[in-house]
Amino acid sequence: MSKELIRLRDLCMAYDGELVLDHLNLYINDKEFLTLLGPSGCGKTTTLRSIGGFASPSSGDVLFDGVRINDVPPYRRQINTVFQKYALFPHLNVYENIAFGLRMQRRADPGDPSGRRKTRLPEGEIRERVMEMLEAVSLKGFENRRTDALSGGQQQRVAIARALVNRPKVLLLDEPLGALDLKLRKDMQIELKRIQQQVGITFIYVTHDQEEALTMSDTIVVMDKGTIQQIGTPEDIYNEPKNAFVADFIGESNIIDGVMVRDNLVQMYGRQFPCLDGGFSENEAVDVVIRPEDIDIVPVEQGQLTGTVTNVTFKGMQYDIIVDFRGFKWLIQTTDHSPVGARIGIKIDPDGIHVMKKSRYSGMYGDYSSFSDEYDELDVAEPEEGGDET
Amino acid sequence: MRRGTNSLFSRVFTALVFLFLYAPILLLIVFSFNAGNSNIVWSGFSLNWYRELFRDRLIMQSVYTTLLVSLLATAIATAAGTFAAIGFYSLRRRQRALLNTVNNIPMMNADIVTGVAMCLFFVAFFTFWSDFAAWFNGIQGAVTLPTRLTLGFGTLLLAHVTFNIPYVILSVGPKLRQMDKNLVDAAQDLGCTWMQAFWKVILPEIKPGIVSGALTAFTMSVDDFIISYFTAGSSASTLAMTIYGMTKKRVTPKINAISTLLFVIVLLLLVAVNVREALLERRGAEGPRRSPGPVARALDTPRGRVLRRCAAGGLAACFLAAVVLLTGATNAQPVVNVCSWGEYIDEDLITQFEEETGIIVNYQTAESNEALYSLLKSGAGDYDVIVPSDYMISQLIEEDMLAELDFGNIPNYSLISQRFKGLSYDPEERYSVPYAWGTVGIIYNTSMVEEPITSWSAMFDSRYAGEVLMFRNSRDAMGIALSYLGYSLNTTDGTELREAFQLLQDAKNRGVYQSFVMDEIFQKLEGGNAAIGAYYAGDYLTMRENNEDLAFVVPEEGSNWFMDAMCVLKGAPHKEEAEAWINFIASTEANLKNMDYLWYGSPNQEALEQYPAYYEELYGEALDPEDYAIIAAPPEVLEKCEVYLVLPMEIRKLYNDLWTELGI
Repeated sequence: MSKELIRLRDLCMAYDGELVLDHLNLYINDKEFLTLLGPSGCGKTTTLRSIGGFASPSSGDVLFDGVRINDVPPYRRQINTVFQKYALFPHLNVYENIAFGLRMQRRADPGDPSGRRKTRLPEGEIRERVMEMLEAVSLKGFENRRTDALSGGQQQRVAIARALVNRPKVLLLDEPLGALDLKLRKDMQIELKRIQQQVGITFIYVTHDQEEALTMSDTIVVMDKGTIQQIGTPEDIYNEPKNAFVADFIGESNIIDGVMVRDNLVQMYGRQFPCLDGGFSENEAVDVVIRPEDIDIVPVEQGQLTGTVTNVTFKGMQYDIIVDFRGFKWLIQTTDHSPVGARIGIKIDPDGIHVMKKSRYSGMYGDYSSFSDEYDELDVAEPEEGGDET
Repeated sequence: MRRGTNSLFSRVFTALVFLFLYAPILLLIVFSFNAGNSNIVWSGFSLNWYRELFRDRLIMQSVYTTLLVSLLATAIATAAGTFAAIGFYSLRRRQRALLNTVNNIPMMNADIVTGVAMCLFFVAFFTFWSDFAAWFNGIQGAVTLPTRLTLGFGTLLLAHVTFNIPYVILSVGPKLRQMDKNLVDAAQDLGCTWMQAFWKVILPEIKPGIVSGALTAFTMSVDDFIISYFTAGSSASTLAMTIYGMTKKRVTPKINAISTLLFVIVLLLLVAVNVREALLERRGAEGPRRSPGPVARALDTPRGRVLRRCAAGGLAACFLAAVVLLTGATNAQPVVNVCSWGEYIDEDLITQFEEETGIIVNYQTAESNEALYSLLKSGAGDYDVIVPSDYMISQLIEEDMLAELDFGNIPNYSLISQRFKGLSYDPEERYSVPYAWGTVGIIYNTSMVEEPITSWSAMFDSRYAGEVLMFRNSRDAMGIALSYLGYSLNTTDGTELREAFQLLQDAKNRGVYQSFVMDEIFQKLEGGNAAIGAYYAGDYLTMRENNEDLAFVVPEEGSNWFMDAMCVLKGAPHKEEAEAWINFIASTEANLKNMDYLWYGSPNQEALEQYPAYYEELYGEALDPEDYAIIAAPPEVLEKCEVYLVLPMEIRKLYNDLWTELGI
């Protein structure tokens, strides 16, 4: 990636004495698609708002191009935002909504040599840029519509056009797809990525949907309780989660207590498994992550472990099977059907095992005893962050 | 079939409901076009009362005051209320709920409480202010603060603004809560400062709330009587106050005319608002917005915007200048604040006085002696000249509320007939100059009684059961009974009073009285709905214009005669002007004019003598000597009559108790 554009340095934010952001450090590169991912209340929206200028940090700095912008009001930042539920102006039509930012702009009057006199953008230029933008978001011909006469997806695109027409250096997107249905959401994910590549600017995207984050991002920042848990590419985050929280939040994970016998050998359930991880002290207690799709079901006698099937769910592409291994329940995704109550053996390849250091999240995640609850939780729409009192 | 009868029934029922709702207004509108001055007898179509209305400077002045106060108060309250609502909106939920409750209380509070409280507050503040100003003027000489503040247009406006703000907040608040919270952020994100975001985004969003809040506020302002009554003081009077004041003496169809105009204007406003809303709704449903017309487009160019701003600024400046000029004009010239009764002066006299002296007359009205008294006591009645009746004058003297007059400034006092000087209420001739006088007698319908009435006994006679109208105030009702029994009107003898009361109660129980009335007596007697009633002589002549069968008599037992006289309040700020006014009104010319207008007796000896000739010259026919005797009762009649004196406290209380016992 190219040069650094935004840096958050030791950012703290407190509402009513409660720390919402806890000494956050983060840099964002130019032209990067960065996603802030986390559950509700993790501080991701607050982070976004402090970049946009809608919230001022209690301490720490927001730097833009190396300049501290903590006290720069939103209307002077080269940053635009696509808001949750779009926040289109209901009293203006599509054209005027998109033209709004341009109409607010003033620039030096070319006819004034001193350069002190400011002038509005000429109407012709505004029209040209709005039409160009309408075309870019495939809304040509909709310019005279009232915004409440548009579908959710169309409103979404008006909101994006309204922000991008100002040619910002950074676009902030606050759960922009949250109100759309699943199919439209998938289309818009691709559309957004396309737009970002086309305009070539930085997108900072807030979501609680891990799939969305994995699909679109160059970089994902996983947050919880006001702190950053992990920063990395989608592949890094998925394959090499730093702790149980990340492992659980991104995709499905079985997280098992283990002991690192030595490099490349980890012990679970009293058995030793070859793996590819190293760098731990001898016999260090660790969390072991095993993704459900990395587990092969084999006949009992060939299995590294044996367990009993307690639940089977048909998912179309695969079966989700819950298997009880000595009281600890695993999720296994497989194309083979095993009936409930069957004894099965499993086999895990060394590259299917990921070993993590113990953290404060150890023991909190990775057990599928309450399988259905946890699975559903991820699709529950996240309420607004920070409360409506701010 | 069942269906048929049902729908017929419901139609009839609906018709009845509407009839009930609108019949009174319809009647009022019809009679506003009546040629005669009755509200009950139709004597042909005419626009006379409208013409009269627009000539009536008291009404026109109060229409102007009402509109100015309402518009200014609406503008200020709308701006303040809108910003307050935005302030509320940005608070935390619990604080907001608390403030909303605080905001709602004034709307639920009784107007009378609000009015009295504000009056008290203003008066208390003025007292504090005068001390402060005196001290401040004492310690430095650069700025001189006025030490004396009075109730007036300013306090009226403040009061209206105060009671309007909650209505604006109440209607703007919900619009703000309906608004997407992110809209303001979005506007700022797109380059607006907070103020720009307010104008470009918040305002269009909450506009419907602001408009309905402003309309409510305006309606409340125009409508308000009670709060205005307590806060307007002597120099300002709203339309509602003026109309109320007019009901004291004679209800003229001018009230019908102004009410009709008010009704029509409000109706048109309502229709306009509804049509507009319907249009907006239809347009909204159709989807695409109408593109702006050529004018709107022309105004949206940069030059157009400048033009628009200049026009708006110009209008605002004109409005401000008008307000400043109007308030300034009245301040620069000498003024006199007069409080009298409604329909109690020929208004040409006011104009004439102003032209001759350059003194501006603020002419206000009160509706009864008792109302005037409580106004004065509350501190709200900040008048120079008042025109109370005899017994009230003695009470005011007793309470040291009147100023001694400088009769050097009132040479015309010498024109007052000796008969009317040094009367019992002001025996030393120090405080009052008589204004007008009259007698109380029986007005009866000759076609409805068997023989001419000569005695008060008719007021207690079972033969006329259900046909008699009695005064609805204790002093006059008891006075009639006392006269009939041959006792003094001012008796303090408990047994005599008991006896009089017994007489009244007995007659009431026998069903003699159709009702106890004040000004309703005009309609009842003019329309032939009652046969007999006791009232003022001057009013009889007005009634007779609409019903030739009416006759008047001062009963042989004697009666009450009253004198209203001009007094100056102690501490009046314009005493000299007040004395100039009193002198002017005491002149023969003014007395002739007033006598002709009021049909009450003049205290001016020359006027009294010259009136028949004046009448003949004016109307081209001789004045009926009998009518003259009714207007100005001859000395032998007056001798039988008695003036009310102020009664001792305990007797006043007894009157009150007896009156309550009578159960009116």
